[in-house]
Amino acid sequence: MSERVDLQEFVGAFVAEAEELAAAANLSLLEIEVANTEGTTRPRIVRDLFRALHTIKGLAGMMGVEPIVEIAHALETLIRSADRAGGLLSPKAVEIALQGIGEISERVQAVAERRQVAGIPVQLIATIASIDAEPAATRLIKKIPSGWEGRLTVGELQQLDHAHDTAIPVWAVTFMPSASNVTRGITIASVRRDLAAIGELVRVFPRALAGPGDATGVAFDMLLISKASRDVIAATAATELVDIVAVVAHSAAAVAEIAASGAPDAPGAPDRDDHVTAIGRAVVRVDLSRLDELQEQLSLLIVSRFRLEHEIAAIAKLGHDVRRLREIAQLQGRQLRDLRRAILRARMVRVADVLEPLNLLVRGLARSTRRPVQLVLEAGDTELDKAVADRLLPALIHLVRNAVDHAIEAPEERAAAGKPTTGTVRVSCVAVAANHIELVVRDDGQGIDRDAIARRAKRPIASDAELLEVLTRPGFSTREVATTTSGRGLGMDIVQRVAVAELGGELALQTTLGAGTAFTLRVPITIAVMDVFSFQCGAQCFVVPASLVEEIFEVSAETVSVGPSPPRPGAGASTNSAVSLFEHRGQAIPLLSLGALLEIDSGARARKALVIRRNGQPMAFSVDRMIGRQEVVVRSIDDPLVTVPGITGTTDLGDGRPTLMLDLNELASVYRDRVAS
Amino acid sequence: MKRLLIVDDSKLMRDMVAACLRPLGEVAFEFAATGLEAIERLALAGFDLVILDINMPDVGGLEVIEFVRAQDRLRTLPIVVVTTRGDDASRARVIDAGASGFLAKPFAPAEILEAVRRFLPGKQPTA
Amino acid sequence: MTNDLHVTFRVGTASYAVPAAQVLHLESFENATLVPGAPAYVAGLVQVRGRVVPVVDLRVRFGLPPVERTIDNRVLVVQVGTRVAGLLVDSAREVLRIDETSFEKPPEMIERQSAGFVTAVATVTKRLFLLVDVPRLIGEELAHG
Repeated sequence: MSERVDLQEFVGAFVAEAEELAAAANLSLLEIEVANTEGTTRPRIVRDLFRALHTIKGLAGMMGVEPIVEIAHALETLIRSADRAGGLLSPKAVEIALQGIGEISERVQAVAERRQVAGIPVQLIATIASIDAEPAATRLIKKIPSGWEGRLTVGELQQLDHAHDTAIPVWAVTFMPSASNVTRGITIASVRRDLAAIGELVRVFPRALAGPGDATGVAFDMLLISKASRDVIAATAATELVDIVAVVAHSAAAVAEIAASGAPDAPGAPDRDDHVTAIGRAVVRVDLSRLDELQEQLSLLIVSRFRLEHEIAAIAKLGHDVRRLREIAQLQGRQLRDLRRAILRARMVRVADVLEPLNLLVRGLARSTRRPVQLVLEAGDTELDKAVADRLLPALIHLVRNAVDHAIEAPEERAAAGKPTTGTVRVSCVAVAANHIELVVRDDGQGIDRDAIARRAKRPIASDAELLEVLTRPGFSTREVATTTSGRGLGMDIVQRVAVAELGGELALQTTLGAGTAFTLRVPITIAVMDVFSFQCGAQCFVVPASLVEEIFEVSAETVSVGPSPPRPGAGASTNSAVSLFEHRGQAIPLLSLGALLEIDSGARARKALVIRRNGQPMAFSVDRMIGRQEVVVRSIDDPLVTVPGITGTTDLGDGRPTLMLDLNELASVYRDRVAS
Repeated sequence: MKRLLIVDDSKLMRDMVAACLRPLGEVAFEFAATGLEAIERLALAGFDLVILDINMPDVGGLEVIEFVRAQDRLRTLPIVVVTTRGDDASRARVIDAGASGFLAKPFAPAEILEAVRRFLPGKQPTA
Repeated sequence: MTNDLHVTFRVGTASYAVPAAQVLHLESFENATLVPGAPAYVAGLVQVRGRVVPVVDLRVRFGLPPVERTIDNRVLVVQVGTRVAGLLVDSAREVLRIDETSFEKPPEMIERQSAGFVTAVATVTKRLFLLVDVPRLIGEELAHG
């Protein structure tokens, strides 16, 4: 086996993660901007921002994208000094940091599209380096919880100070991990997350426990600012009070209250806040990846059910009575459908919650463009799949950003046109049909100048539909166009890609010059998302579910033995050469050439092998090269023209072409049948 | 089978490290996304080696090392630190704190493989 | 009446017509994703306006030898019931008004030789057009068989 590991298989994952981190960094910066106007600080947000940049830097380094490393490093240095200064980042620093993130995103996009990545923006980096983070005005901390002196940063002390000023209790919570807690899914990670949901978690410290032979040997001390009651905090930290060593209120007022009444509740703390109500309704927060896992397992179950039906049909052909088997298989089919519906329901999120970040975005944009803009969200009680929501949000952010940046006119201009000086961007959502929703992003700005776009595109534009077609052409989405024509070029190709190619929905545009523009996205409520490996075989790319692949190896002529395969009457030549053997960890594993199996390639260029387990036995498929691992939206194939064994669906890897998803298990069956016949 | 704990707040980085270490063969990888999680796992289970990032939320790699070295049971656990801060001062700080090895990101797959082989008890024959 | 509008196209040396009502739009043809195991006349899958659509290569369907693709190649995206499929043709240019009454039953030999793909013939300004059975071309019998 070769020692060589190629990190290029991670390009897809890198792009996805870098995009996510850049988006998170943008949101952090907007939140810091809001804090700046309120005259408060957000030390935790600053730290999140720092880590996002740090991670981008590390990943870009591994992928060898030097310009991103440089930009991230410069920003990281800026943010670190802000963190040390108590979490204050000047408006100018925020502005330049946003610019830096933009430059990073642009380069990530280039990596995604396999374009040349732009070089290091020397000017920008010089500007970043010239900015000083401003130290926060230091104030006397009124009270530090005992035992925590000297362990907190300036920013954290300010958080405590602010809590004190606003009379919100500060709690010292200790959590002790144990094997029994772990089996119930209670770990420091879950406790930390749950506590952060009911308050502001200032800091966590691990503490080694003295005493030899102590099985656990660790406790976690946490400082929490929260209005929640003692019981709620205790329950959140470990579901059973036994596991909580101490929950101590440190705010002077709170301590007094507990002493006086003996009641565990904090003073003036409205007990029935949202989170408490949520606990009362027995809401369980589940990581989305766990639901994905569930759904993926279900897909596998559905696939194996198809195989079961196949086998029943084969038995029936031999003349056996299969009525009982069929009945059971049908019942199972119905049960699987019910299970699928139940999982879907668990994945639903409220659209209103999904749209929430747009508020922050518009506030930030209104400030930076100096245009009064209000955002109106009308989502009612509509719900959609979290996986759709996650993909949809970037598209909505693009549309809302464009509306504020390019459509809403300056106040004087609006007044002159007889419009209210404050512009309005309205995002509304309604359910249409049983399984689609329609999202409309509407502004009351200047509308899109169709003639200007037509001149620019050098073609006549007769309708809104044609206008949309021009705007969503990848080549058209340049900043220059967006600003010179006050049009909507910026990022429209991305919106189109998300709505149409990724989600299988529709995008429409309606604009009236001088009165405003509305973009309508019609998307399915749910989609099937899968974690897949993508690879090349012959002239084409394919994907397979990552959960099925046990290992990936390099293969070469030296490690593979082609056994005897005398010509057989009736069997094609390709079946004879499709299988060989190779040694792995002392075991001989059958290696099928995927190219030969699919009859698309000789398999001579195959360099990698995917190992799956079939009926408990390992089996490998050779392919030319790995492309990456990513989460994709899978669409089922339902047209009878292309319903063939071993091909279960299609996906779009971003090149606008369908890529086939294979069922390697079924392909192995096909091969076996072919050899047997 | 050897048990390795890979600690990094980026899932992608954890996956990459695991991919780089694939040639080790029979090794069970476990993952932790924060220093806190790492400390918890180390307190509750036995590992043969830890690969540790430095910059993580709440509790960073240095604090993890401090914690580990303060425990009798874990005093000799090999810890290979992997960090983007590759300067000498950072290296000195990490080694002072008690790390067994130090590797700067970005690293080549062969480098981390070699570092881990060096510190993994009951060393495997190097290829 | 609009239902006498027909989209006309060429495959090999012959001209064909399909009712315009069955055609959603025309697309140029670039690479299709091959579907191993599908019938030989399936050129593959293409993404058209966000939809994944199978394309039937009419040259192969009609038993003609393959030729190099040109920029004149077009895909007629047709709809039959809920199914949407593409028909790959050598070229397609015109939408013609062909009156229903000008269609005649094809000579029996032609009908049989064409495996039922041709359902009628019409002559328009001395040019001959063969009316094709779209459901049959896209293997509608597969859908119910």
